[in-house]
Amino acid sequence: MIAGRGRQRIRPPRRGLHGDEVDFENTWGIIASAFREIHTKNASRLSYEELYRHAYRIVLKKKGEELYARVRQFEHEWLSNEVRGSVQALFSPNVLANTQSLGGTTANERRVAGEKFLKGLKQAWGDHQVCMSMLADVLMYMDRVYCQDNRRPSIYTAAMMLFRDDILKTPTSDAEGRVVLGLLTHVILDQIQMERDGDVIDKHLIKSCVYMLEGLHDDDKESEELRLYNVSFEREYLDTSREFYHQEAELLLRDSDAGAYCRHARRRIYEEEERCKSTLLESTSPRIQKVVEDELIKHRIHELVEMESGVRFMIDNERLDELNLIYDLNNRVDGNKSELTRAIQKRIVDMGTDANKAAIAASQSTAPAADAGGEKGKGPAPERNSNQQTVAAIKWVEDVLQLKDKFDKVWRESFNSDNLLQTALTRSFADFINSSAFPRSSEYISLFIDENMKKGIKGKTEMEIDNVLEKAIILLRYVQDKDLFERYYKKHLCRRLLMNKSISNEVEKQMISKMKIELGNNFTLKLEAMFKDMTISEELTSGFKHHVEGLGEKDPRRIELAINVLTSMTWPLETMGSSDDDGGKRPKCNFPIAIDRIRRGFEKYYNQKHSGRQLTWLANMGSADIKALFSKIPQKDGTFKERRHELNVSTYGMIILLLFNELPATQHLTFEEIQAQTNIPVNDLIRNLQSLAVAPKTRILLKEPMSKDVRPTDRFFFNEGFNAKFVKIKVGVVSSGNKVESDRERRETEKKNDDSRGFCIEAAVVRIMKQRKELAHQQLVMETLSQLAGQFKPEVNMIKKRIESLIEREYLERIEGVTIDSYRYLA
Amino acid sequence: MADADATADADANANLTEYVTLVSNDGFEFKILRSAAYLAGAIKNSLKPTYGFKEGSENRVDLPTINGVVLEKVCEYLYYNQKHAESKDVPDMEIPPELCLELLIAADYLDV
Repeated sequence: MIAGRGRQRIRPPRRGLHGDEVDFENTWGIIASAFREIHTKNASRLSYEELYRHAYRIVLKKKGEELYARVRQFEHEWLSNEVRGSVQALFSPNVLANTQSLGGTTANERRVAGEKFLKGLKQAWGDHQVCMSMLADVLMYMDRVYCQDNRRPSIYTAAMMLFRDDILKTPTSDAEGRVVLGLLTHVILDQIQMERDGDVIDKHLIKSCVYMLEGLHDDDKESEELRLYNVSFEREYLDTSREFYHQEAELLLRDSDAGAYCRHARRRIYEEEERCKSTLLESTSPRIQKVVEDELIKHRIHELVEMESGVRFMIDNERLDELNLIYDLNNRVDGNKSELTRAIQKRIVDMGTDANKAAIAASQSTAPAADAGGEKGKGPAPERNSNQQTVAAIKWVEDVLQLKDKFDKVWRESFNSDNLLQTALTRSFADFINSSAFPRSSEYISLFIDENMKKGIKGKTEMEIDNVLEKAIILLRYVQDKDLFERYYKKHLCRRLLMNKSISNEVEKQMISKMKIELGNNFTLKLEAMFKDMTISEELTSGFKHHVEGLGEKDPRRIELAINVLTSMTWPLETMGSSDDDGGKRPKCNFPIAIDRIRRGFEKYYNQKHSGRQLTWLANMGSADIKALFSKIPQKDGTFKERRHELNVSTYGMIILLLFNELPATQHLTFEEIQAQTNIPVNDLIRNLQSLAVAPKTRILLKEPMSKDVRPTDRFFFNEGFNAKFVKIKVGVVSSGNKVESDRERRETEKKNDDSRGFCIEAAVVRIMKQRKELAHQQLVMETLSQLAGQFKPEVNMIKKRIESLIEREYLERIEGVTIDSYRYLA
Repeated sequence: MADADATADADANANLTEYVTLVSNDGFEFKILRSAAYLAGAIKNSLKPTYGFKEGSENRVDLPTINGVVLEKVCEYLYYNQKHAESKDVPDMEIPPELCLELLIAADYLDV
């Protein structure tokens, strides 16, 4: 384009700007005096363009370096001579005083003096900044051309460094080694301290000074880490804060309670955060937070938790807010919240152990009472004893549930439903429930369910029932020895089913399905089989009834039979007999002829349906309804009346009563005669006779001598004068209810349990080995443990023994010649 | 400080005129939009209200190193620049070759 206009010449500038020689000294004189005007805020008469032009000329004349040096020199002198003096004038004794000691002056005086100092400094800094930006703009051409080309810091930056060196880094007085910067730091810290103590300070003022420190750097390279703020102030700030909070924590721990401490700590943390926003720089925030957290929480959390008014106190008094505070604080410094967790766990275990002890104590404290009762007659005393044990069991379960509710509440409301803490809670509950000092938890829980099934759920809504069941499941979840529980539950369930004690079959099934969900199919398999047996038995009963009717023999005195056929593998029959002394073989009791006939009839009927099965009659489990006719005796109103009663008695009771049927009224039978005729086991006989002859409301027999105990020599009569208000009478057999086992029974149960555990272990070992063929001992034990974890926690010793026994029986063999003990599976 | 500056600027802006006067060495006066004038660093600095230089209070900048012809072209460029600041495919501005050198010097001087 330009070439296209070839005719036109490029004109040289008519009058070269650089044409004239520039008199540097003169020009500098003009500039310097103008700068002075600027510094004294008299710029209005100056022409920017003129000054700019002067500087421009000087730079053009390659005198940039000289100009730069002159300006620096000018500023240096200005700061040293004018500004420093005015800053030093601010060092009132009160400001200086606090550099040595805090005594002698009041906080208020110090605060005022400090503020004056800060204000003055801020003023000087502000002025310097404004002036220097004006200067820098005037010298823009120099910055643009000279500084960039020669890699010098801009004149503005250079002047800022001069301020640092000539003002901040000068000694406060000739005598002292302290520099203004140190004093500044100290004054700010002092002000902050005053704020911590509750004074109101000028945050804005301090923030300005902090900005100054932020804007200046310790070196000339302006690196981030070496900002004066970080180098001189922040470090000091963190140190003094650490010291301060260290002392404060000490004081607070000594003087106030844990709740107050937590509130205070939280407030301090919040305050420091605010302070960083309003007074200091936000970049300090995480650092000071850490200091506060370290001093107030991390180093103190242990003491805090252990305080008299610590976690324990809070739990006991339901101080949910304070627990929440502690949680929050602990969470800040320790994601695992180990201190809090530890304290909570300890408390749970303590409280749980208390509940355990209370239960044990409750079950034992009755023992002396029972002994006292035993003086009069030993009959009902053990019963009361065991009843009270049952009460203790129920109480224990309720205690534990209460504990669980309590801690759940704490967990929800104070611990923000923290997952880690939940596991800790669960572990602690499991710990004390499975504590070796308290072996009865399985039994107690089963009893608790039993009690509810029999009585507790009466008149409750479905929701409430569900609640109760859910609670039981919760506890069950904690129990380690699930097999032991299963054993007890089976036993209790068995009683409930056979004796029709259960209020609702529906609820029973609900419970089972809950357990199924919780513990798996295996666990409930046998329980379900029990229900199935019950259903089949009902069918059998009605089938047999039809069958008998079909036989056509109309017997008005025919006896109706309701039968329960139980699979001996599924039902814990051994626990139902009272009969350890029978040595396992159950003596067949002699049924009266009428009964025996129908028994044989049923056996025949059953054999037709299922051949090859053997029926064992468990008379001790049955009951009978008898219609009894009592002879006329005078009534209260003087009339004579026959009295009909329907007696509901146990099968044994029925057999005994039928004996008296054949006896003339005045005759008697001795205990031994009854025993001989019926062949009822002694224990059962005693209990049945007690209920028939001793219990006041159902005294159908009379006994001589009239004592609560039944002795072999006692004689029994039919009670002609029996009297009762109701037509239907239920003769309860003594201690047929479920109750806590006696120690002997316990040992028995445990032994049986151990036996079955042995089988479980063997089965597991064989399963594993069959799959793996060869395995090291340690690994085998581990796998066995993990396989059985759902049922119980076997002892390693027991596993070892089982392995030995398997080797003996040649299921396994030791692998010879290997360093680690290993086994091989033998097919 | 930054916010203090901002408010000060806002205060000063309130009584700022919309146009400012640029005066060449041969006495030509150019009244141009303040915003356009600000594109030149030196002019902007000279007018900065917070500094309180003479130019600032009079809204008038004497430029004794630049003649009217060149200053006219400078003003044209300032408007041209402002107008096209955010557009693409901008047409070239016509610059007479004979003015090139003087314009360059002026541009350097004014920090355009």
